[in-house]
Amino acid sequence: MNELEHTSYTSTEGENRPISNARLAVLVLLGAEIMFFAGLIGTFLVFRLGSTTWPPASQVDVRLPVGVTGLNTIVLLLSGFTMFKAQQAIRQGLQNALRNRLFLTGLLGVIFLAVQGYEWVRLVHHGFTLSSGVYGSIFYVLIGCHALHVLVAVFWLLAVFIGATAGRFSVDRHVGVEVCAIYWAFVVLLWPILYVLVYLI
Amino acid sequence: MMWRYFSLIVGMMVLSTFIPTVVDACPSCKTIDDPIVQGFKWSILFLMAMPYIVSGLIGGSVFYIYKHSHRTNNHKPSSNVKGV
Repeated sequence: MNELEHTSYTSTEGENRPISNARLAVLVLLGAEIMFFAGLIGTFLVFRLGSTTWPPASQVDVRLPVGVTGLNTIVLLLSGFTMFKAQQAIRQGLQNALRNRLFLTGLLGVIFLAVQGYEWVRLVHHGFTLSSGVYGSIFYVLIGCHALHVLVAVFWLLAVFIGATAGRFSVDRHVGVEVCAIYWAFVVLLWPILYVLVYLI
Repeated sequence: MMWRYFSLIVGMMVLSTFIPTVVDACPSCKTIDDPIVQGFKWSILFLMAMPYIVSGLIGGSVFYIYKHSHRTNNHKPSSNVKGV
């Protein structure tokens, strides 16, 4: 049972598995999530490339908060880094560092969501809503779906943080942290793509 | 009997290609200057590529994790030291 103790892939019979069931499940889940967002991005491409002017003529006065969202992008990327450091901490058995880095990651995720929410409220007050034509629909659906995924990731992180506080993870057993980190990496790496597509192009 | 139905379906499909409105249902067959054609074209190409990218990512991840775990296993000392 001492073999592969970093990732605890060893079954009860002592047979080495190439990958743990939890990790495989999260990878398959991410495959489905990628296809979901690919469908939304495909829709965006049809509207964006199918339109001679972007934003469309009826929404030309809408100004998306490019600068603030750019800074928010850095916040989310930073949370990806702190999550990576949290993984490193538990691999080295550093319980306090794990808790601190998980907390920091969650905090950065909440800051990202709060800034996004604040900007959305401002846009809605300016009359840019979900029913503001194609531009409004694709913006709120695409960015909203990502925000929903970040929210789910924050709750997942909270559960992992509670587990870490209770001392449930160790050098030998930390697959819970690993799968949460994979999901967090997905929401972090997806955001720059959406930011460039929706805000910059 | 099955052969008759099959011939009927194939015949109808061939006939439908002679009807311009049915042919126009394909976005790539519309006027090439229309921007919506470009939108559909890139969207279709993007979505066609995604399953291969997803399969590659999952397969690559499994391969990387497998190789990484083997490397960790090979470099691990035989004692019970946890490598802290």
